[in-house]
Amino acid sequence: MTALALKNLKKRFASTDVIRGVDLAIDDGEFVVFVGPSGCGKSTLLRMISGLEDITSGELYIGDRLVNDVQAARRGVAMVFQSYALYPHLTVRDNMGFGLKVRKVPAAERERRVNEAAATLKLDALLHRYPRELSGGQRQRVAIGRAIVGNPEVFLFDEPLSNLDAELRVHMRSEIAALHNRLKTTMIYVTHDQIEAMTLADKIVVLRDGLVEQVGSPRELYERPGNLFVAQFIGSPKMNVLPAQAATHLSPAAQVPSSAESVGIRPEHLSVTGPSEVGLRGKVTLNEYTGAVTLTHIQSSDAQPILALDDGREVTRLGSDVCLTAEAGNLHYFDKQGLRVAADAA
Amino acid sequence: MRRKDAPWLTLKYREMLEAWLFLSPTLIGFIIFFLGPLVAIVYYSMTEWNLLTQQATFVGLKNFHNALLVNPDFWQVLRNSGIFALGLVPLNMALALTLALALSRPFFGVVFFRTVFFAPVVTSAIAWAIVWKFLLQGEAGIVNQMLATVGIDGPNWLREPNWAMAAVIVTRVIKMVGLNMILYIAALQAIPRDYEEAARLEGASRWQIFRMIIWPLLAPTTLIIMVITTIGSFKVFDHIYQMTGGGPENGTLVLAYYIYLQGFEYFDVGYASALAMIMFVIVMALTIVQVMLRRKEME
Repeated sequence: MTALALKNLKKRFASTDVIRGVDLAIDDGEFVVFVGPSGCGKSTLLRMISGLEDITSGELYIGDRLVNDVQAARRGVAMVFQSYALYPHLTVRDNMGFGLKVRKVPAAERERRVNEAAATLKLDALLHRYPRELSGGQRQRVAIGRAIVGNPEVFLFDEPLSNLDAELRVHMRSEIAALHNRLKTTMIYVTHDQIEAMTLADKIVVLRDGLVEQVGSPRELYERPGNLFVAQFIGSPKMNVLPAQAATHLSPAAQVPSSAESVGIRPEHLSVTGPSEVGLRGKVTLNEYTGAVTLTHIQSSDAQPILALDDGREVTRLGSDVCLTAEAGNLHYFDKQGLRVAADAA
Repeated sequence: MRRKDAPWLTLKYREMLEAWLFLSPTLIGFIIFFLGPLVAIVYYSMTEWNLLTQQATFVGLKNFHNALLVNPDFWQVLRNSGIFALGLVPLNMALALTLALALSRPFFGVVFFRTVFFAPVVTSAIAWAIVWKFLLQGEAGIVNQMLATVGIDGPNWLREPNWAMAAVIVTRVIKMVGLNMILYIAALQAIPRDYEEAARLEGASRWQIFRMIIWPLLAPTTLIIMVITTIGSFKVFDHIYQMTGGGPENGTLVLAYYIYLQGFEYFDVGYASALAMIMFVIVMALTIVQVMLRRKEME
């Protein structure tokens, strides 16, 4: 069943078009991540769904209800803010019970639901504390708890982990994933961090300049990016893009489509060998050893910067001549407009 | 023993000397113009000193005794000051908060309106009072003429005791409300928008958002505003001096103006000093009570 449908949704601030026509269907219980560079409109889109931002044109359905003109509070959504937005003068218990209180839910019922959510999020021992007495991770959990208590149809997360340090971010990421598994509620999550997007999402929506670039599972986006932007945005480190003719150097078996302008190859799919007859030639300009992997920066003979990633056991000497090869199946071709073109059948 | 090439002062003493030098301009001013007079007043309050005869006699607590137990004026004056404060403080704060709520978010013309409401604060109090005295004249006053156009027969504002008090309170509020408005605007703008949005999403009405989120978060500002407005209302002088001169029938004779009358019209400096001491104690007590009440409320 469709939990949410966006039909040609548009948003305009004064004379600026921020969302320029988004169509999207989100299934019940799906974890959808909006990802894109800053200013792409992902947060605005989320706020339009929440009702905090008006819809300029288009239609927004939650379940089978058209909610364009429905107040935020009546849309059945709950939102976790980037800043957490915990009321500083209220205890954790009162923060979590706030929504129930304003909706005049009886005190006993309120108590029960807050305790239930607190148990789910291991917040039991913190209920009497104030937000200022909590760590970043705990505040984050309270913010999620506040959302859970209302029992919404859809959870909205606006970059919820960006205020946490790296270690806590990884931890909270897995907690959110576990929460989704447990609750099975539809979740929409905004982030600019593509690792978060890849690890959490059932479905990723890549946005740029207020338009959807591609929608798909993390694997689809990684393995079959629909255009150059998605190809370079998804995956870290980002995909190398070279002129199409480099493909035959990288792989003699490559069947370069006639319309291809450029070829993309992910750093982890490149093999670096010593000078040889086959392969794309280049010179090592920088080695970045990170322990698990080594990033090798190479300048090709026609001065293209290329990044290669390998398991890190061997570090190629700086300045040495190398040859780069790849399997034909790992090459992605793009036409003049940057759209994906299929490789010619061999 | 000090080494030959060592500086004249050690670093520690040099820094201390510098600190005192930097502090000295303010410190000297504070001692001469604030601490000195304060100490002097404590002494004068225990003397009988007539400015005309230039004779000061130590009389102990006689002035305080006179004020509190003998002189019937004092209690009326104190009552007037109390009424003035009770009328002015809530009215000023309510109006300041209302204006701040209306003017804290940007809209076309917001700067104009903020300026309009703040301008009286920087206007001379005397000029302000003169203009209002003119506007509030009996039959010829513009206020009454305007009321007459809608069939209301306005009172002689500054000549009837109850109306005179109301008139000085309201005109004083209009003059000073801009200051508190600015303080409230600053406080409102410091409250993250997310709180309001989160509350909206959870179904809170505008009134619930204000009562349950905004108002509690404004508490520290409200306390400051309450304290300074209360102190200001007890110190009001120029306004009364120009608009009513304490009349009619001593109906607007407030403490600060009464002190002025005793000291500089009747030249009874000792008694005036004792009154000033009493005012100091009252204002301090009120401030302490307010701070304690707010603290209790915040807990």
